[in-house]
Amino acid sequence: MNLKKLFSNQQAVVIAALVVICIVFSLLTDKFLQATTFTNISKSAYYVAFMAIGVTFVISTGGIDLSIGTVAICAALIGGTFMEKGTPMFIVILIMLLVGAVFGLINGILVSHFELPAFIATLGTMMVSRGLGSIVSKTKTISFPQGDSAGAWFREIFMVTKDGGILPKNFPTGFILLAICAIVMAVVLNKTRLGRYILSIGSNKEATRLSGIDVKKYETMAYVFSGVFAALAGLAYVAVFSTAQPNTGNGFELDAIAGVVIGGTSLSGGVGSIVGTIIGVFIMTVLKIGFPYIGVQSHYQLFITGIILVFAVYMDILNRKRKG
Amino acid sequence: MSALLTMKNIKKSFSGVVALKNAELELNKGEVVALMGENGAGKSTLMKILTGIYSKDEGTVTFEGKEVEYKSVSESEEAGIAIVHQELNMMNDLTVAQNLFIGKERKKGFLIDDAKMVEDAKELFERLNVDINPNVKIGNLTVGKQQMVEIAKAISTNAKVIVFDEPTAALTDSEIEELFKVINDLRDKGTGIIYISHRMDEINVISDKVIVMRDGEYVGTLVTKECTKDDIIKMMVGRTVFMEPKTKSDVGADAEVVLKCENLNRGKHVKDVSFELRKGEILGFSGLMGAGRTEVARLIFGADPMDSGKIFIHGKEVSIKSTKDAVNAGIGYLSEDRKRFGLLVDKSVEENTCISSLEKFTKGLFIDGAKSKTVSEKYVKELKTKTPGVSQIIKKLSGGNQQKVVIAKWLVKDSEILIFDEPTRGIDVGAKSEIYDLMERLVKEGKSIIMISSELPEVLRMSDRVVVMCEGRITGCLDISEASQEGIMTCATNRQGGK
Amino acid sequence: MKKRMLAVAAAGLMAMSLVACGGGSSSGSSEAEKTTAAQADSSKAEETKAEASADGKKINVIAKGFQHQFWKAVEKGAMQAGTDLGVEVSFQGPDNESAIAQQIEYLDAAIAQKPTAICFAALDTQASLGSIQTAMDAGIPIIGFDSGVPDAPAGAIKANASTNNLVAGQLAAKETYELIKDKIEGASGTVRIGVVAQESNSQSIVERTKGFVEEMTKLVGEDKVSVEGHDSLKKEKAGAPVVIDVGIPAEVKDADGAAVASAILEKSDLIAIYGSNEFAANAIITANEGLDKIGEGKVVAVGFDAGKKQLQAIKDGLFAGSVTQDPVQIGYKAVELAVKAANGESVSDVDTGALWYTKDNMEDPKIAPCLYE
Repeated sequence: MNLKKLFSNQQAVVIAALVVICIVFSLLTDKFLQATTFTNISKSAYYVAFMAIGVTFVISTGGIDLSIGTVAICAALIGGTFMEKGTPMFIVILIMLLVGAVFGLINGILVSHFELPAFIATLGTMMVSRGLGSIVSKTKTISFPQGDSAGAWFREIFMVTKDGGILPKNFPTGFILLAICAIVMAVVLNKTRLGRYILSIGSNKEATRLSGIDVKKYETMAYVFSGVFAALAGLAYVAVFSTAQPNTGNGFELDAIAGVVIGGTSLSGGVGSIVGTIIGVFIMTVLKIGFPYIGVQSHYQLFITGIILVFAVYMDILNRKRKG
Repeated sequence: MSALLTMKNIKKSFSGVVALKNAELELNKGEVVALMGENGAGKSTLMKILTGIYSKDEGTVTFEGKEVEYKSVSESEEAGIAIVHQELNMMNDLTVAQNLFIGKERKKGFLIDDAKMVEDAKELFERLNVDINPNVKIGNLTVGKQQMVEIAKAISTNAKVIVFDEPTAALTDSEIEELFKVINDLRDKGTGIIYISHRMDEINVISDKVIVMRDGEYVGTLVTKECTKDDIIKMMVGRTVFMEPKTKSDVGADAEVVLKCENLNRGKHVKDVSFELRKGEILGFSGLMGAGRTEVARLIFGADPMDSGKIFIHGKEVSIKSTKDAVNAGIGYLSEDRKRFGLLVDKSVEENTCISSLEKFTKGLFIDGAKSKTVSEKYVKELKTKTPGVSQIIKKLSGGNQQKVVIAKWLVKDSEILIFDEPTRGIDVGAKSEIYDLMERLVKEGKSIIMISSELPEVLRMSDRVVVMCEGRITGCLDISEASQEGIMTCATNRQGGK
Repeated sequence: MKKRMLAVAAAGLMAMSLVACGGGSSSGSSEAEKTTAAQADSSKAEETKAEASADGKKINVIAKGFQHQFWKAVEKGAMQAGTDLGVEVSFQGPDNESAIAQQIEYLDAAIAQKPTAICFAALDTQASLGSIQTAMDAGIPIIGFDSGVPDAPAGAIKANASTNNLVAGQLAAKETYELIKDKIEGASGTVRIGVVAQESNSQSIVERTKGFVEEMTKLVGEDKVSVEGHDSLKKEKAGAPVVIDVGIPAEVKDADGAAVASAILEKSDLIAIYGSNEFAANAIITANEGLDKIGEGKVVAVGFDAGKKQLQAIKDGLFAGSVTQDPVQIGYKAVELAVKAANGESVSDVDTGALWYTKDNMEDPKIAPCLYE
């Protein structure tokens, strides 16, 4: 009984877990508690976090989007190909977002209008986007501008790369963007009709339809969000890591989905939390970044993340039972 | 002689909410006990405690002289207590025989002996005198047949106590008759039977005594032979309920036609259906199960696409291609299966009340939570919905109160045409009359209602006119002044296209 | 009682990481113990330097992989150098050679720990530039090893400890040519030499392929060779009697590699095939399992590196021989250079060498330690 009560608020537990993990790392090594660590964590959390924000919408409808990882990199590769042909960076970013939106729209139409299972539809677009990225980039690695080259300004969206500005060098500006996106999307999910309908679809799609709501439209919208945020994730990835290869994005989607689930969004739909998602992603990233600090290989990060994931889902089930 | 089964002073609460206060039950060998009570009175909870689905907080259960406490359904089954659930628990892709013997598969060595199972199933169905092929997939059977399989399953365990939870809701009259024969048979063999139903007529026919519950408490026991329907109802609700048929309609023949359907067609379920609905009228739709009434409703509501046909609202033809079109045209639909099609059971009363009219509660980009709360609260009050608050999760409400939330949803939307599909299914007597009052109030306020109902007394009590369907066609349209149970049944069995 | 709870939580996670480290070969556990020990008696922070000097020098080695046997051998060499030279060595590498992001996370984590020096084998220089700059700003010298950090900004990399892959590739070509010389000269129609390589951004693999193809072209005669297949090396010449056929799978996946190798093995005019790293050699071996094309008296197969499967193939006579790098030396020399650089000595590139080995000289004391399995 006490156990059940204790875990009734998954969000609180997840935040507590994040804090505990940080404390333990700072006790294990005095190198952990410094500004660079936060920058490092942010840098490698961006792309997963953006994907996770988008896919939270899809998961809230009771669906799944497996294509986000490859769409992220596909968008980067397509954008990068234009960039190499001299397209200004600003336009390149728009092209990337458009690529994401188009893939999202395709997923949405396949799932809502053609009634394909989301798993299959997005598995298909996952392969298509991976292939398309390879085709467009001619399987080359695409390097995005850095330093003083033209177009390198876009990296400043995610981190300060130069001395002498208002903000210190290496300041993770992307964290601010991430926070804004998270807040805006949390409001969209919880305070707008769009969000309410998305959660309703996840709760009971047929009943929502019989309430006179255009479920196809709103379900599609969720996938479009997912696609656009995947593209944003692709942008964050190339800003931080500068290069994209056709096979880079493989498996990203699972990191994002794991973050979403740890954050308390239910895979069966109807319940979604953007804030939880962000925290879920940060738990995984802190483990990822923290373990090298104490000289431990990444396998242990996977090991522990796996345990946390299973535990998080079990909490969700406990909560459902308690309510049901 | 000591009783076969005794439950005494049973208490149970869920996260602070008391479901059972002081429940009691006594059942002897070879006896049929009807367990009566309004929905939410605690009958299902009591049965779930008996069969080990819930654990009790306090009290004793004595079975065959020993105090028992089952921790799971398999334990209670093992001990000889079987339950036929109101909601079907079937694996649709398995055959009838496979479903029947799930968990008790007949084996030949390590392998499942399908032939033996089919044989056993046939034997069982012969005993029940029903015609079901054990080899077909259960999903292909009608709901009534599925229910019979469920009953057969309970009987097959040779249980000493069998609980029937509203077993007849989906059965035809002939099937009900067979069921009663089986129950009588079981009684003669010494099986104790607990029978839960809202149908008073059945209680009179089948039960030996009636145990009445109200608000989680034991109220009293009546011997069936010595009491009348009204005695039971009085005990259940503490008031008298009349179910007198309407004799005359107040709607004039010249009232405006709000909805007109012309030659609606869809597959074999809806054939050339044409009718009119007048302002302020309750148009009853009667017929046997599978006559196509729900299908017509779903066509009008845009839930299924039609093959051909025209729909006019206020004389103007409208194109209804989606539920959204229908809702915008002023139609609201209350499904017969509230949990699946009517409600978001994991969401709150407020969310369900406002879901169809969120545009009214949107300020700029955002949902105006304060306004939606106020409006929801207003309808909770107006419809006398029993809920601790508008943030209560729908799942925790009783059937009648859930139905009120669905009604509230369409009232908020201000729909002028309401389609009630089995409005009182699974709803207890007290709540039933409240729903009736509500429907009458709505038509007085100028709404028009199509009411699909399988209960003839209900049709005769509520309707101004009765449309009768059989096998996808309209086979009769009777004014209430000339409608009778017999007349309706004649039309309902008038097979025109069938061979 | 917050402190007590913290201590309990910390102990819990520590125990977890200690148990976890127990199974691995990294120095993590001892380091964790040290750090916590230091934590226990020292008041707190601000003595980063004091602690560093007390602990002696610390070198972080960031490899391109971890699970691969090659990297295990490099790790062995690096650890050996650490013991010999009295420095603490921490060795890390990403899960696979596509995990660019993960490698950079390791690099950033290493820089944040302010080690004496870093040894680095970049998966993708472009992607590492920012981190390299941070290290330069912090005054941490970087030593490249294995494929190093190609095209790094001037002055960023103090020196490299690596195999000269071009030379190693040429060595493979020379040895292969010796084995097929007669076949080429006695051929009536065209003959084909297959090359299986791995798609890569890293210079080392590209150079081994390039070294092989260029040297082979030179040995056979510039005008008699047509290089076909993958775009990167293409130099087609119609009617040339010798075709060098380069196959590169789209992804570093065993199945994809085997498919490309099969396609080449299926060609009837094939006389020799070369796999430019362990992945490629394994691809050839896998593909051959169904086709049975290579071996003594059949197509001459030659590899690079010394994986377990490849060694067995050489023992069995499937492969005529292979070129191997000396990964133990790579690791050892990298740490050695790092210590020197940290001491302010001037350092320059070291070629860690390559060797040709066959069934007959595998046990040779000079060769055996380099067969890293």
